[in-house]
Amino acid sequence: MTDKYILKKDHLLPLLRKLKKNHRLIAPLRNRHGDTLFTEIDQLDDVRLDLANQPQNSLKQFFFPQQEVLFTYRNPGPDSYHFEPAAGESPPSLYFGVRPCDLSAVLYMDVVFLKNARDPHYLHRRRNSILVGLNCNGPFANCFCNATRNGPFVDFGFDLQLTDLGDRFLVELDRSRGQEIISAWRQFFAAADDKDVKAQYQAFLEARGKFSLQVHLDLAARRLADDQVSESVWHELSMRCQDCGGCAYICPTCTCFSIRDRQTSESGGERIRNWDACTFSGFTRMAGDHNPVDRQMRGIEKRFRHKLQFDMKKDNRPSCVGCGRCVNICFGGTDIVRFINMTCCENT
Amino acid sequence: MTMPSPDKDLYRPRPAEIREVIVENSQIKTFVLAFADREYNASFTYQPGQFMMVSVPHCGEAPISISSTPAKSGTIHLSVRRAGRLTAALHDMRQGDAVGLRGPYGRPFPMTDLLGRDLLFVAGGIGLAPLRSVINTCLAAGHDRRITILYGSRTPADIAFKGDLATWGQTAGVSCLLTVDRTEPGWAGEVGLVTGLFARCALDPDETTALVCGPPMMIRAVLAQLAERGVADGNIITTMERHMSCGVGICRHCHMDEKLVCQDGPVFTLAELKQLKVMELQG
Repeated sequence: MTDKYILKKDHLLPLLRKLKKNHRLIAPLRNRHGDTLFTEIDQLDDVRLDLANQPQNSLKQFFFPQQEVLFTYRNPGPDSYHFEPAAGESPPSLYFGVRPCDLSAVLYMDVVFLKNARDPHYLHRRRNSILVGLNCNGPFANCFCNATRNGPFVDFGFDLQLTDLGDRFLVELDRSRGQEIISAWRQFFAAADDKDVKAQYQAFLEARGKFSLQVHLDLAARRLADDQVSESVWHELSMRCQDCGGCAYICPTCTCFSIRDRQTSESGGERIRNWDACTFSGFTRMAGDHNPVDRQMRGIEKRFRHKLQFDMKKDNRPSCVGCGRCVNICFGGTDIVRFINMTCCENT
Repeated sequence: MTMPSPDKDLYRPRPAEIREVIVENSQIKTFVLAFADREYNASFTYQPGQFMMVSVPHCGEAPISISSTPAKSGTIHLSVRRAGRLTAALHDMRQGDAVGLRGPYGRPFPMTDLLGRDLLFVAGGIGLAPLRSVINTCLAAGHDRRITILYGSRTPADIAFKGDLATWGQTAGVSCLLTVDRTEPGWAGEVGLVTGLFARCALDPDETTALVCGPPMMIRAVLAQLAERGVADGNIITTMERHMSCGVGICRHCHMDEKLVCQDGPVFTLAELKQLKVMELQG
């Protein structure tokens, strides 16, 4: 066993203190309202690291902020129009305690932002990131990453991956930056032995048995592909969806955005991009109010087809990571789990 | 000022100057543009069917298809119908004013294939803009097969690209037929839908590729006519229009099922479109 290590829990804070010297540190913290959120840590001694609860947010906002300036422009006269790069910069950032769903979502964002074209803003932040993951020993009430096949444990995509073994973490490596951390702070890591690896496997088996939701994502995906989802399902979803966009904003893989100008002075402004949601009626509206998609009736259908049919067809995996956050946020009863259940319960 | 690089400056346009404004009709103007950076302008090229993202101060950006031919370098023509806020602001701009440009983007027309085929162009209104780029590129390349151009406008006053239509009408091997929906005093030409012109043109379905661009109603009527004439779906080509924010395959506004118009299109064959749910093809 040369590539697996043990990090004693007593050594975690001292290690994070060392890492914080050269990195912006982002981890799940419990705030004074009792909410657990991925938060940038200012002073390690002043915060409550919370590895027991699912963070309410994902890492999306750190790689793809809800609003950002793409560049600024100056237009002092009609014949003068200049574009200057935005001043934005992202320091080396270490994301700690990233669960398999959120880690998988980052890997999905890599495809969205870097495959067709290389989004410079995303690329810069991603290149400056280190992902330290945490396998899920106990899925939460709305979790179904077993159905999306990216949890509760993962074995790639991270720099370091931790598994909680009670008094210690088993530490695995995938990307090179993980090895750099181990090498730089060797004093905190001991070699793992067979017993540790077996304990990890035991934890995995137990975690796998703890899902309380049964989500038949494969069946729903097949029915979508075979065009077997009846119009009444779409109708009910459209009627009940409240168009709040909450599902898209909270979703770690929903990455649609809009770009617009914000005038900041007589002669200049910023081009900014904002999160958007494909369920909104304006999403496909063109100049002159022409809209090729009936968003009122088809918006939510497009969203589910994208996640469970079109991405499945293209990449053989859904663009849903089973984090369950949309289940918590949807008050219209039209989250993805309820859609899958409606689809699967239909008689065809 | 720093010079844009393709990777770092994916979203940052380059300044361009409006060299000339051609009024095509009451709704359409053609903007003749050149990049302010002369060196870049000299090296800039594109292919028929591609589009540019056009920035107008304080109005953001919109995708506009290129209506000129790369055979004539030095300027880019963008023909724009006044439709919303950005295009209205653009229509108010004059020669010498500055816009921002990035591109070219999108899958172009398959020019190499087209050069060996009889070509039937069917357009309505502003739909002639991207086809104008193809026609002039074909003519510049010495295309020696039959070219038929059918162009429909609302009224005689709405006929755009009059200069090109006149030139094409006088070019050997090119037959150029016009029609209007509503006649006006002084109009001696055809009246009626563009499909009415089909009766007047010879068409060998196996040898012909049809390029169709215009409003959805017209597209559906033309496709029905082409099917009747026996033109295969793979030999019918059109360009799609969708709202876009990024133009480079990331923002997802222009999705058509699993396709993105900005990446997989805007040029599609009818055979490709029939695999998708496309509003323009549905009644």
